[in-house]
Amino acid sequence: MEEFIQQLTNGLAVGGIYALVALGYTMVYGVLKLINFAHGDLFTIGAYLGLTVLTALGLKEHLGPVAGIGVLVIFVMGLVAIIGALLERVAYKPLRHAPRLSAVVSALGASIFFQNAVMLVYGARFQVYPHDLLPKVVVNLFGLEIPLLRIALFVSSLVLMAGLYLFIHKTKIGTAIRAAAIDQGAARLMGINVDRVILLVFCIGPALGGAAGLMVGLYYGQINFTMGWVYGLKAFTAAILGGIGNIPGAMLGGLLLGVIEALGAAYLSIAWKDAFAFGVLILILIVRPTGILGERVAEKV
Amino acid sequence: MKRCRIWWSCLVLLLVLGAGPALAKTIRLGLMCPLTGSWASEGQDMKQIVELLAKETNKAGGLGGMEVEIITEDDGGDPRQAASAANKLVTKGVVAVIGTYGSSVTEATQSIYDEAGIVQIATGSTAIRLTEKGLPLFLRTSPRDDEQGKVAAKTIQAKGAQKVAILHDNTSYAKGLADETKALLSATGIKVVFFDALTPGERDYNAILTKMKGAGPDFIFFTGYYPEAGLLLKQKKEMGWNVPMMGGDATNNPDLVKIAGPQAAAGFLFLSPPVPADLNTPEAKAFLAAYQQAYGSQPGSVWAVLAGDAYRVLVEAIAKGGSTKGADIAAYLKTKLTNFPGLTGPISFNAKGDRVGDLYRVYQVDATGAFTLLP
Repeated sequence: MEEFIQQLTNGLAVGGIYALVALGYTMVYGVLKLINFAHGDLFTIGAYLGLTVLTALGLKEHLGPVAGIGVLVIFVMGLVAIIGALLERVAYKPLRHAPRLSAVVSALGASIFFQNAVMLVYGARFQVYPHDLLPKVVVNLFGLEIPLLRIALFVSSLVLMAGLYLFIHKTKIGTAIRAAAIDQGAARLMGINVDRVILLVFCIGPALGGAAGLMVGLYYGQINFTMGWVYGLKAFTAAILGGIGNIPGAMLGGLLLGVIEALGAAYLSIAWKDAFAFGVLILILIVRPTGILGERVAEKV
Repeated sequence: MKRCRIWWSCLVLLLVLGAGPALAKTIRLGLMCPLTGSWASEGQDMKQIVELLAKETNKAGGLGGMEVEIITEDDGGDPRQAASAANKLVTKGVVAVIGTYGSSVTEATQSIYDEAGIVQIATGSTAIRLTEKGLPLFLRTSPRDDEQGKVAAKTIQAKGAQKVAILHDNTSYAKGLADETKALLSATGIKVVFFDALTPGERDYNAILTKMKGAGPDFIFFTGYYPEAGLLLKQKKEMGWNVPMMGGDATNNPDLVKIAGPQAAAGFLFLSPPVPADLNTPEAKAFLAAYQQAYGSQPGSVWAVLAGDAYRVLVEAIAKGGSTKGADIAAYLKTKLTNFPGLTGPISFNAKGDRVGDLYRVYQVDATGAFTLLP
């Protein structure tokens, strides 16, 4: 039982990151019906920019660990949002009326471009966040030893997700995003500037992806230019699992995938962990082709 | 449009004819290495080292009066890309090829070079089968996995381990080494209580460590690569689990300590061919000094240095053998070259093209994060 709960927390920590990255896929898909394959690389860029800002500005020395990281998160989210918006303007907007496949190819190209740009700027070797940055406190919870950082990691991903959920459902702009996702033409007739909505989606999604990259850097310490690939793939899977285009679905899918992986590793074979995770995905898609929470997607595809 | 094409053809023809005489004065050696992809840091080091050595050769008057030109092609650490890189090198008229790092990547190119009659010297490809195919023009400066398995089993025994956990990463290299070691260990009566694989490229290995801890091993042997080894050490330390861990030769990279942090890495053992810094030979010292001067740092891992050794034996074979024909170079290397003073110790090849001799050493990370050679 103890090992089960331990593995559950392992899975939730990883799943929180998957969920944050998955939100970027699902939001873009919801509005544009485009899989933004460059999203995993925006995640990588977040991790690298975090390291640069952290060491260049000396945030920890000036502000202390907690406030310093707060400022760092805002900085990185802002910077990655700008890159996301640029990506949309350069790689996707000129293809708005082209066949969908063209945009997908453009996304793959953008992904290769970002990955190699990061390699050229930062080098191919692994980069490491400072080891003494965050206090290594271990919390004893019901007889389980859990690092405080892991709890912080999970809680901050939940906070970001809750913030996004409220933003989408309780604000006027959020309503505009939902409207554009349902029917762009009708939204335009209602006076919604769809291009601005798309731009906004390309700010929010990458900002969350960048925050996830930063969190991975802060918690695991090690970053390299190909890290976005594995996380991107898993988050994409999570988005489909939860129902792509559906925001709560991406959150659920991410957490679920993390937990399935951890429990699969614990009680089956570690080597088969991915096979198990993708097996569950296939099963769910057979039973519910739209994913767990996806409803609208079927009629659109 | 048509006229335009004719002009272009003339231009290309001129360029080709113009390039003709220049070719006679240079010897082209190919370098195939991963300049992009997840092994890019290894490939970039390989390129720096080979180019540095070629510059030295040319400064010293070239090779038999001819200038050495290094043609580098990126294999991306990917078998498919490697096949097209190999084809490119063949059409560029290289007389021999150095590379590459990953065994599966090398394997994709072996027959291309063999058919073209070009000698290939692999530098990091340790999979056993590569030299068991009987290709006459294939050699390698790296050791073989079966040798490493023997050293691993011997070291585990010497450390007094009773219950061993073996973890690999499902690459053909790591799995081969893990299988080999497991078989050797079970013959000695040491129990393998855990045998499984992780997925490389991830960041969180807590689930694996939690499961492994449940099996209660008193020694861990990880046969994968340094990025995962570094994370395993770090997360193991965070769990508060102090079991000794050993890595295979793919963990020999200073970045391991960077990733794990010196505290978590302290005490980690790994197997590796000796790095130049531990060899007291004049060749190794001169090479390290030249590298430091040219690039302002020390070479990253031993695998890139093995590319330097491949270059040096090629130059030796062409200079002493007096021929640039593939069969002649290979024959010289396999029969005449004995105990050539390499950057990683004496080099000789057997008839299969494998490097001869006891190459593996046991290293330990000390409290400051430095790699120290165990006697």
